[in-house]
Amino acid sequence: MGPLAINEIISENTNFFLAFIIGIGFGFVLEQSGFSSSRKLAGIFYGYDAVVLKVFFTAAITAMLGLLFFSLFGWIDLDLVYVNPTYLTSAIIGGVIMGVGFIMGGYCPGTSFCGASIGKIDALVFIGGLFIGVMIFGLGYKLWEGVYMAAFKGFPKISESLGLSDGLFGLLLIIAALGMFWAAEWAEKRFPREEY
Amino acid sequence: MKPRVLLALFIIPLGLIIAAVPQNKTTPFKLSAGELLSEATSRSQFVTPETVAGMIVSKDPSLRLIDVRNPDEFEKYSLPEAINIPLSELLSEQYTDILNQDIKMNVFYSNGSLTANEAWMVTRQLGYQNNFVLEGGLNYWFETIMNPEKPASTSPDEEFAKYDFRKSAGMALGGGGAVQAQSSQPSLPVKPAITGVPKKKKAAGGC
Repeated sequence: MGPLAINEIISENTNFFLAFIIGIGFGFVLEQSGFSSSRKLAGIFYGYDAVVLKVFFTAAITAMLGLLFFSLFGWIDLDLVYVNPTYLTSAIIGGVIMGVGFIMGGYCPGTSFCGASIGKIDALVFIGGLFIGVMIFGLGYKLWEGVYMAAFKGFPKISESLGLSDGLFGLLLIIAALGMFWAAEWAEKRFPREEY
Repeated sequence: MKPRVLLALFIIPLGLIIAAVPQNKTTPFKLSAGELLSEATSRSQFVTPETVAGMIVSKDPSLRLIDVRNPDEFEKYSLPEAINIPLSELLSEQYTDILNQDIKMNVFYSNGSLTANEAWMVTRQLGYQNNFVLEGGLNYWFETIMNPEKPASTSPDEEFAKYDFRKSAGMALGGGGAVQAQSSQPSLPVKPAITGVPKKKKAAGGC
């Protein structure tokens, strides 16, 4: 019965070790899917390459289906699975900063390390910027603590807020994802780019 | 076939299945049958009527008496400050916070100790702590606290001390019998310690 570490089936250290293995696998898949190229990543914003959308949504719906089926079979207790707390103001501001940084830099935090691992200079520069941002946030925390902690909404799930069952929301998300894949492939044909 | 179509063919049926089946809301049992058996046979869940009477008289705030009989019986007679959770309602969500906590000492009681013990077993199997059973139930309570029997004159002093205590407690709780002067109170049986519920922290994650 999962989660394994929470239910003390495996130790905290084994948990970290498994996370390490999974992390290496995750990085490998990211690199192989082309996520170490900032031009490929930025393609989602211009329409010529939608690999970001496809990979992340495929990962999301696969994980979602896996968790829902595991819960159905009694293999995991979803009540013990962490749900991120929602601070609405900082979620919006953070989303905007992240999005602008993504368009400008061509990376998101995870993929920048992916790019750096194969020696991309732009990824290294991006990581430098990332740490400058971390320093500014950390050292000036007192200044934005009020905004950062504002509009706390608890630990909501979208399915609960909409009053749907987890399974029904899952089905809707799958349909939405497939619709987006279709739109993304249409955009790739509509705004093609020869070399990037 | 395009990868997107292949993905759709695979994942839409799965989505349909998961949308159609009811959510798994079962609560897992925390104790194995063997663990529960060894706890049940050690009889550590029982608290004596003297302990409970002492706590009622001294208005111990950590005591919470839970009557697991049905509401009719509860209306007719109940111990002071007791709340009624009929055994059939035990798993109702409104009582979870009462039964699964680490502040109070819950003592189940019924007429005998059978029903109360059933309630204890269910809550214990769910991993709840700090739930206990009044030894002998209300029947034994009446025998010992409300109408204590005077020990034979040849009995040891401890028996008399116990008798005096029972009588005083019974008086304080509205039973029969007169308080004897200068009765030495026996040392109360040590009440079971309240143990903290280990708060499970959730597994954190993030991108």
